Amino acid sequence: MAKSTPTEAHRVPRLGIQLENIRKHYGDHVVLDDVSLDVEPGTVTALIGPSGAGKSTFLRCINLLEQPDGGTIRVAGHTIEPGKNIAPKDLARLRSAVGMVFQSFNLFPHMTALKNISFPQQRVLGRSKDEADERAMQLLERVGLKDKAHQHPGRCSGGQQQRIAIARALALDPSIMLFDEPTSALDPEVGLEVLAVMRELAADGMTMVVVTHEMQFARDVSDTLVVMADCKIIEQGDPRAIMSDPQEARTRRFLRAVLER
Amino acid sequence: MNWLQQWAGYLPQMLSGLGVSLFIAAVAIVAGYPLGLLLSVMVQHRNLVIRTLGLAIVEIGRGAPALVILYLVYYGLPKFGIAFESIQAACIALVWNAAAYSSEIIRAGLQSVARGQTEAAYVLGLSGRDTFFRVIMPQGMRSAIPGLMGVAIQMFQGTSLAYAIAVPELMKSAYNIGSEDFNYLQIFTLAGICYAVISIPATWITVYFEKRMSRHA
Ligand SMILES: Nc1ncnc2c1ncn2[C@@H]1O[C@H](COP(=O)(O)OP(=O)(O)OP(=O)(O)O)[C@@H](O)[C@H]1O
Ligand SMILES: [Mg+2]
Repeated sequence: MAKSTPTEAHRVPRLGIQLENIRKHYGDHVVLDDVSLDVEPGTVTALIGPSGAGKSTFLRCINLLEQPDGGTIRVAGHTIEPGKNIAPKDLARLRSAVGMVFQSFNLFPHMTALKNISFPQQRVLGRSKDEADERAMQLLERVGLKDKAHQHPGRCSGGQQQRIAIARALALDPSIMLFDEPTSALDPEVGLEVLAVMRELAADGMTMVVVTHEMQFARDVSDTLVVMADCKIIEQGDPRAIMSDPQEARTRRFLRAVLER
Repeated sequence: MNWLQQWAGYLPQMLSGLGVSLFIAAVAIVAGYPLGLLLSVMVQHRNLVIRTLGLAIVEIGRGAPALVILYLVYYGLPKFGIAFESIQAACIALVWNAAAYSSEIIRAGLQSVARGQTEAAYVLGLSGRDTFFRVIMPQGMRSAIPGLMGVAIQMFQGTSLAYAIAVPELMKSAYNIGSEDFNYLQIFTLAGICYAVISIPATWITVYFEKRMSRHA
């Protein structure tokens, strides 16, 4: 994988994010029951747990892609209270600080890889086309896909699309990156390409929250492992410690199920 | 006399009628599609007044026969002091028709765009306007192309209704010729051919797009 150090111009302050008592329900169905999480700047948090635990919902609450019913989100010294009216300025700040990568990539199919990465920079950060294109090429090189710049996503493999999606998010200089099962739609070998990019990102000191079923990645890369089950965080701490000696029966059952797969 | 020779004689007058028909159809399409886009947004709007207004315009445009709308515009509106030339009235009625039909096709096209696209635009911080015009619309319109071409053909054939208010379009030209020498069979056959010469290739193109679209889906 091509490796290039991020240029000074794109050094972004590393931020953490604090979530307190996040609540979410769909009708009578509670999905998040007072979930709190403190993400330190420059750390990787891996979020694991059985299907339906509320992992995706929680992740999506962090950038208000899903509107929590209560709780607070603190980022860069600003407090957002989702239950109440959010000032557009706070929302814009949150969205620009937090980048997100989806399981299904969600690249814009009518734009080339380059345009996918360049267009949001122009519209959101007001960069000139040349500047944005240059940054896009840098990032494509970083994820090893410079030769795909002028291809449409439909012409790229899943692994390539996901790496382009990561580059697209990085182009906006986020301080925090959220990943929702970024490799679940991919074959294992292809997933490795994506995980390699994420490892590099973590090594660069990016603050990351990753929902994943990749136990090896969680153990090797994450600083904090968070286990969710039944709308709650049931256990969190050092990934190796939890994996070798889980304190909760529910965690034990989940880990056994994952490892046996 | 040979039909072909007769037709050759009729052709200049028929072509001028065809020109008028194509003009009205072009106006219906050029104005109808953007209005259809606007209506498709209105019927999905969260403001109840805007949504209801949009729905009313669409449902009347689709529910009432084009001829009824045509008569309302041409004979009805003057009662309110709004009078149009016959060709203007024909254009208005068909624009309404085209807008109503295309709005439904565009709405379906926009709704077919995956939800993940809006979510991706949101997390990138794109504005609502950019999300709609640069992300959703280009994709939604693509899948609407075959349907919109169908509307174009329908509008072209619909121009024949303008005959009813004496617009000098293709049918009117044919009728005028027919009433001079009573060769109705020949002249209306020629009129039919004129419509078909435009509509059938247009249908082929539509089918081509449909096939291409389903292959790339
Ligand atoms: N839009 C929605 N409407 C109603 N219920 C929902 C909605 N989105 C999620 N849920 C419910 O919320 C619960 C948590 O879903 P979520 O997607 O967060 O789980 P998850 O931990 O990410 O699971 P998975 O590992 O399968 O992705 C589930 O019971 C799900 O059915
Ligand atoms: Mg999920």
